[in-house]
Amino acid sequence: MGADVGHELLSAPVPQMVYDLSQSIAKGQLALDTTSINTLKILANTKFDYLPEITETLTPHPITTKAGPTVTGTDVEVEESRTFPMTLLQAGILPTFYQFTETLIEVKISISSHTETKNEFEFGAEVKAEGGFLFGSASFASHVNYKTASTYSYSVEGSSLIRVVMRPAPMPPRAMPKFITVNTLVTPPQITTS
Amino acid sequence: MGVQMYMIGVKDELTQETSREIQRAVRTHDGLILMVTRTGPLVALEEAAVGALADHPLVRFIGPVSLNPRGFAAQRLEAIFSENLNKQITITHRAPEESLGQ
Repeated sequence: MGADVGHELLSAPVPQMVYDLSQSIAKGQLALDTTSINTLKILANTKFDYLPEITETLTPHPITTKAGPTVTGTDVEVEESRTFPMTLLQAGILPTFYQFTETLIEVKISISSHTETKNEFEFGAEVKAEGGFLFGSASFASHVNYKTASTYSYSVEGSSLIRVVMRPAPMPPRAMPKFITVNTLVTPPQITTS
Repeated sequence: MGVQMYMIGVKDELTQETSREIQRAVRTHDGLILMVTRTGPLVALEEAAVGALADHPLVRFIGPVSLNPRGFAAQRLEAIFSENLNKQITITHRAPEESLGQ
C-alpha cells in the first residue's frame, strides 16, 4: 500500500509539466514578438496625409450699420498648409509588446486510504453424559469458527492549475527606429535625434 | 478583458468595399473605428473579440498598438480619433429613476 502511494506521488509529471509550460511560454513569446514586429513594419509603411498648420489671418473689416455708424468688423482668412505624407509610426502609433511576467504551476494531490479488518471468533462446546442401568456414556463436542475479513479502500485525487500573467512591455530599443530631424529653418541647420 | 487599440491589415488591396466590410465586422464585435488608413483601419476592440476578427476572410493581420502621447502628430491623431468616435458613440442620459434602479 505504502509503495503504491509513493508511486502515485512520483508519477505526478511535475518536471514534464514545467518543461512543457516553459516551451509553451517560449513559443507564445516568440509569436507575440513576431506579431509586434510585423505591426511595427505595417505602421512604418502606412502613411496618412498630415496637415501640420492652419493659418488664420485676421484683418479689419469695418461694417457700416443700418443706423449709420461704422463699427469695427473682422475678417478671418484661413489658409491650410501643404499636407505631406507621414507614417503612423512617425505620428506616434507604436506597436504594443507583451511579456510573460509571472508563471504559476500548482499541483494538488490528495491521497486517502482506509483499511478495515474484521475478525470473528466463535467457540462452542457441548458435553453430553448419559447414565444407564448397566453402562454409562459421555460425549464431548466442540466447534471453533474463525472468520476474518479485510477491506481496503484507496483513492487518489489530483488537480493542477497553470496560470501565466502577461503584461505590456516597453518596446525593445533596437526594434524602434531612430528619428533624425534636420531643421533647416534655422541657421545652421539643427539636427535632433529621438 | 480590456479594450485595446489594434491595427488591422487586409489581405488584398484595400478598396472602399473591403474597408466597409471590415468596419462592419469590427462594429459587429462591438469595436470602434478610430481611423481608416490605406493599409486598414485602426480600431478599439475588446481583447476577447480579436480572435474572431482575425479569422475574418479579409483580415490578413491584426496587431496591438498604442498611442505615444509624445509622438510627432499625437495630438492630431487624438483629434481624428475623437472625431470618428463622436460619430459612433451615442451618449444617452439616464432618467433619475433609472439610475436608482427603480
